Amino acid sequence: MNSNGLQESTTRRQAIAGRSSGEGLPLSEPLIDLHQVVKTYESPSQPFTALRGISLQVRAGEFVAVVGKSGSGKTTLLNILAGIDRPTSGAISVAGTQLHALSESQLAEWRGRTIGLVFQFFQLLPTLTIVENVMLPMDFVEIIPAAERRPKALKLLERVGIRDQADKLPVTLSGGEQQRAAIARALANDPPLLLADEPTGNLDSATGTSVLELFANLNAEGRTIVVVTHERDVRRYIGRQVMLRDGRVADGVQPEADQLEPAEVRP
Amino acid sequence: MTRLLFVKLLRDLRGAWERIVLMILALSITLVMFSGVFYTWGVTGREMARAYLSTNPASATIWLERGLNADEMAAIAVEARKQPGIIDATSRTQFTLQVQQEGGGWGPNPLQIFVAAPDDPMRIENFTVEQGSWPPAAGEILIDRSSFDLLKLEVGEAVVVQAPNGAPTSLRISGVVYDPALAPSFQEQKGHGFISAESLPVLGEPVALDALNIQVADQPGLITPSRDRDVIVATARDLVGWLQQTYGVAIREIQVPTPYAHPHQAQADSLLLGLLVFGVAGLLLSAILVATMLNGLFTQQIPQIGIMKAIGARSSRVLQLYLLMTLVIAVASTALAIVPGIFISRAFTPAILTLLGVDAESLTAPAWMYAVVIAAGLGVPLLFALASLVKTSRTTVREALDYRGVDRRGDISARFDAGLGRLRGLDRTVLMAFRNIFRRRARFLLSVGLLASAGGVFVGGMSTMAGFQASLDRERELRRWDVDVRLAGIDQVLADALTNLVADLPGVTRVEGWSTLQTSVIPPGQQFSVTRTYPDQGHGSIAVTVVPPDSSLMDPPPMLEGHWLGPNETGAIGISQGVAEDLPDIRSGDTIQLSIGGRPTNWRVVGIAESVGHGGGIFITQEGFEAATGVSQPNLLRIVTDNHDEETRTAVAQAAERTLTDAGIVVLSAASVSRSAAAGAGHMLPLILVFLGLSIAMSVVGFAGLASTMSTNVLERTREFGVMSAIGAPASTVRRLVVLEGIFIAVVSCMIAAIPALLLTAIMTGVLPMPGTFQISVSGVVIWIVVVVLGAALATLAPASQASRLTVREALAYL
Repeated sequence: MNSNGLQESTTRRQAIAGRSSGEGLPLSEPLIDLHQVVKTYESPSQPFTALRGISLQVRAGEFVAVVGKSGSGKTTLLNILAGIDRPTSGAISVAGTQLHALSESQLAEWRGRTIGLVFQFFQLLPTLTIVENVMLPMDFVEIIPAAERRPKALKLLERVGIRDQADKLPVTLSGGEQQRAAIARALANDPPLLLADEPTGNLDSATGTSVLELFANLNAEGRTIVVVTHERDVRRYIGRQVMLRDGRVADGVQPEADQLEPAEVRP
Repeated sequence: MTRLLFVKLLRDLRGAWERIVLMILALSITLVMFSGVFYTWGVTGREMARAYLSTNPASATIWLERGLNADEMAAIAVEARKQPGIIDATSRTQFTLQVQQEGGGWGPNPLQIFVAAPDDPMRIENFTVEQGSWPPAAGEILIDRSSFDLLKLEVGEAVVVQAPNGAPTSLRISGVVYDPALAPSFQEQKGHGFISAESLPVLGEPVALDALNIQVADQPGLITPSRDRDVIVATARDLVGWLQQTYGVAIREIQVPTPYAHPHQAQADSLLLGLLVFGVAGLLLSAILVATMLNGLFTQQIPQIGIMKAIGARSSRVLQLYLLMTLVIAVASTALAIVPGIFISRAFTPAILTLLGVDAESLTAPAWMYAVVIAAGLGVPLLFALASLVKTSRTTVREALDYRGVDRRGDISARFDAGLGRLRGLDRTVLMAFRNIFRRRARFLLSVGLLASAGGVFVGGMSTMAGFQASLDRERELRRWDVDVRLAGIDQVLADALTNLVADLPGVTRVEGWSTLQTSVIPPGQQFSVTRTYPDQGHGSIAVTVVPPDSSLMDPPPMLEGHWLGPNETGAIGISQGVAEDLPDIRSGDTIQLSIGGRPTNWRVVGIAESVGHGGGIFITQEGFEAATGVSQPNLLRIVTDNHDEETRTAVAQAAERTLTDAGIVVLSAASVSRSAAAGAGHMLPLILVFLGLSIAMSVVGFAGLASTMSTNVLERTREFGVMSAIGAPASTVRRLVVLEGIFIAVVSCMIAAIPALLLTAIMTGVLPMPGTFQISVSGVVIWIVVVVLGAALATLAPASQASRLTVREALAYL
């Protein structure tokens, strides 16, 4: 690579890094901005449209729950926010980054810096210990100096209440502990946005409740969280609920005024 | 590569250690096979050339029409050395003796004698005296070490021999000679001996040397023998002109064998080419194996790749991880293969060199060959895994999330599956197993390719053998006689008189008088021929066969061009395919000049025949032979016996020899035709060993690959097996399902194997040193099908047991 190319590449990386933190966004700007997003899956039988023109904004510091029946498009929406899926049409901006402009590798790097992902089945790497799983995103993104990664990982594990399990392999932990480890991993690079897909779906109700409380605490600390869930009791913790029905934001479903901020749902 | 990824790599390797070990072992086996063959190829070629050149072979031999005494020839040699382009010159002669066998009677195997003056400096066509000394005293002979077993001789004993012009006489064996320029006796079914010119009177031969051996340089003043045959021929022609002008000698022939090439160079080249073909096939197999196994390993990691991508890993990081994993496997397998490869080469090379009659000075392969093996060991796995590596590292999070161990099925596949499901009476497990083999299409193709390659090599090897055997059988079938009696050809006895002498012997049903002579093509405008004949007077020479009228022993061979000889046709010759290849300018209808019995004769080529039965060479009718040479006596009696067994043949040969000798006819040899079959088998033995060894190794690798693939399939479908157990499938059903999948893969591979088998057979049939017939070995096909199906069942037993032992909980918790 010539010097110009190197400079250009470095500039692009800096651009991804700078925008992805969300720090440079004016407070009035939404952290997530979807406009008329359509997602259609091609299948051998017939195309299936999972999202049908979704427009949605989420501001920094919000805790939003995406709810709806199976097949309503909740997970697809989350995947699109995480850059896992690309929309068939429409525009998406997350933390100031136009996701459609990024390649797969740039998306991976962007995810590492900008979002923390939490899955229903925890998805910890089975051959790494809990603390190593938490350190792995730091290794990938390299914004935290190497010497500080383990202390920070341990601190995060302490934050989610499983500091004593740090050097165990995931298989030896309970489901709740694994999910807490997954949340700690999601926080590894201090991302401005947490995205969680049915984070309590594989946990008993008590454990699920404690995980939701953990999300609520994180939100209270200023973290933006979008969670896809079936959990009926989620309203106790969230700031806003977005209901999807057949790939559309359902009309008439608004958060309770005394508990939630008004959602900016575009028609 | 981050430290954590390195830790992950080590733990992944440890976690999958059984498959990693299997992969490393399988890779090592192919690499051992390749390196063993490769080193053997290099060392055999080097040692053969070194041994041959150590004898300082003559660039050319100029044969005089009549021999001169040793002093005269020595003086000519001295003067010849002063001629332009001549590095060295010496004079020799050679002829063939009959050897008396134990219990009396002449043995079937002749003894070729090489004669040099006692004061010959032995700089050209030298040999190593391993026991005794050169020159042997008058009445003594040194025997080539490979001839002792064939002729049943012992050092210190006397051997009774008879020279063409002499009476039976005794020579004492005074020592042992190693001459790597000669083909070993067991291959040629002919002994070799060395005497000094002082023994010629003892044998009743005139004390005369008729061959001037010369070494030729590219230019006057140089001392390195030329590698350019055209230069050698031109210099030899100039020397002949000088000899004719200065000494008035008549020249019979100039023999210029291929420079720097052992008489068995063609055989060795074919053998080495065969080795290389198999070596490359082994490497290809290794590559497919690598691709198969690593593809399995990588796809198993897809969910984890998805997670890593989801938390920020770039494709390049994932690529580094799996590249390093591949490299670890490649390094381990290469390290394991280096020493066994050397051992195999060191065991195999001497065996091949012994078959070629050559001692190895060193069995160490050149350093560059080790470098090539290491590069192949590291590079081939990386190269062939690269596509899989890149594809895996580019797996998107979405693809990883969707991953279920099954490729997306197209409409055709779906319809095919549905059609299968409608078949009545089909066992559900069989149906499932059959559908399952197509689930991972890339892996299925690689597994099938791997087994098909091994099958192709096995069936190809067996078919090559079968083709050669068929060629021998056909030759045997066409050879309708049982005994060959070779006569001196110096008595002008009519064919009828000769055949009548033998026809009434017990056990004889038919006798025909044939003739075989050595011939050479005289170029237009020349008085003598320039041949490619080697000093043993066999390799590189052209034989002319005189077919008697109304012969019932030879059917017209299949013609490639023109027509076969008409009855009593004169002035016409038919040439075999082999001769036609050596004389590319000759077509049917052309006229050529042949030297027959030292006499130039003109012939019209009427056709080119396939080389089957009766050997190759040039064929002429008895009428044509008589018209051209005036010779009516045959020099070869071909006898058909009533019982075609070896006992009858031997009895008839001995009786014929006695009868003819009693009648005053000089018999050179009388032997069963089995001798030439033994010579043919001697040429093929090295190839048989090579094919069998490599085929077995490749089969082992094929099964290792299948076992690994099935193991990957089982791991990948752990959850699925858990679900099967959860809905009530007993362990035996799961086991049967997996074993059936392996068997289906094996069956499909058998069908695909037809392609490499046909290709390899065609290639090997083309490069064989002996004529072979393209033929597919039915027994080879059957053996392979049985072996591959049983082997597949055995190879999948372990993964099948592993799958059947999984508990539902283990299966559902699997990531």
